[in-house]
Amino acid sequence: MTMKDSALVGQETINQARTEEIVRAFVGLADTLVADFDIVELLDRLSRACVATLQVSAAAILLDNQKGRLVVVASSSEESRLVEVAQLQNDQGPCLDCVRTGSVVVSDDLTRDTARWPLFARAAIDAGFSSVVSLPLRLRDQTIGGLNLFQSGAAPISPSDRAIAQGLADVATIGILQQRSRHRSELLAEQLQSALTSRVLIEQAKGVVAEREGLDMAAAFELLRKVARDTNAKLTDVARSTVEGVAGP
Amino acid sequence: MDLYTWSRLLAAAAVEPAAAPDHILALCVEHLDVSGAGMSVAGHDGGTVFTTATDTISRRIEDLQWTLGEGPCVDALSQGMPVIVSDLSNDPDLATERWPTFLAEASSLGVQAVFAFPMQIGVIKLGVLDLYRLIPGPLAPESLAAALVAADAGSTALLELRGGVAEADGVFVLPFQVQVHQATGMVQVQLRVTAADALLRLRSRAFVEGRGLIDVAVDVVERRLRFSEEDA
Repeated sequence: MTMKDSALVGQETINQARTEEIVRAFVGLADTLVADFDIVELLDRLSRACVATLQVSAAAILLDNQKGRLVVVASSSEESRLVEVAQLQNDQGPCLDCVRTGSVVVSDDLTRDTARWPLFARAAIDAGFSSVVSLPLRLRDQTIGGLNLFQSGAAPISPSDRAIAQGLADVATIGILQQRSRHRSELLAEQLQSALTSRVLIEQAKGVVAEREGLDMAAAFELLRKVARDTNAKLTDVARSTVEGVAGP
Repeated sequence: MDLYTWSRLLAAAAVEPAAAPDHILALCVEHLDVSGAGMSVAGHDGGTVFTTATDTISRRIEDLQWTLGEGPCVDALSQGMPVIVSDLSNDPDLATERWPTFLAEASSLGVQAVFAFPMQIGVIKLGVLDLYRLIPGPLAPESLAAALVAADAGSTALLELRGGVAEADGVFVLPFQVQVHQATGMVQVQLRVTAADALLRLRSRAFVEGRGLIDVAVDVVERRLRFSEEDA
């Protein structure tokens, strides 16, 4: 085997490993789409899959609360959640533009977009991010939210990573919208509200676990996720029984 | 009407907590495309404490569901999600199966569409806002948004009814920031109380100290403030 050949074999192995990783991310996401699945859990999985599979530092997901606002429902890190909150409080940023228009919004260099979103760009740069991509959670004319990818390195998020992330986002969106059409058209409003209530419930449960076990909120969330995984239960159900276990509801 | 104006209107209607449910319902009937509105208020044990409504049909529909133990309102409270049935006579897969008796009674009253919205803060169930219409058809998106905001205003008022304390700045806005929910869980463990009681204690503390609820919540989450029985 020549040196050139072995380099090619090496490249091939890397490509194959990469392909397998991506396939695993899709399968893992599809695996959560069982009957009556937990939307918050699905979106939490989506944000983690992006960070695990792609060259991105953080991912966060916002959902339309149907009251004219977006709400953070999942984030891979506390930094990205805070940047999202800054985006919502200041009513400016790529994810808002993305959900409003239903199309992809990219900033490859946030320092050059300080005029476009002055407060958002500042918050994102302060959190250590240098570029951002916002992808719509969209099926045909319906946009239910957005997926934000953050990068802290100098290299912006690559077009291929962007395409894979959009694929993952599409799987999640189709899952959410399909669950609805199996029943009836109005279930979307019901599901989104239910997901937002779940999110609140999980925050309450994080507080209970954090106080009881002496953990920070991120570790408390990990523990709740672990219990859900180990007992094969829905995250929301674990959260509910945790909160109700203290002194009734 | 834009949602900001609508929420100001609702906040003004909810200034007096005891009268808030009726005022909120009246506003819904006046501004949303519905024939009547009702509200069921949940007690500490999750049971229904009282119901109120804008008209006799609404009242009948409201009471009927709790008597029968079935209907959109019952499901909305138990499942914690809105239940929207825009055509009761043509809802193939659920109404007839889930609510046979309610459906018969509702149609005899001429009710054709029901929209039930839970008033809930995570695990804390406060009640349900029910809107009815005598003609079938979905709620327009702007009416849906307005109904969801009305349910938030209802949650606020019902929480105040339970706690008897007004928010320091007078207007109490849902949704809260996450730290309020996290602090609720922490205070629950510190005091061994329900989530509702923990949230009320946080609010009382904010009120007594003349601070915002979020500031007190952040102190709890950052572990600068602990609640103990002696503070009660």
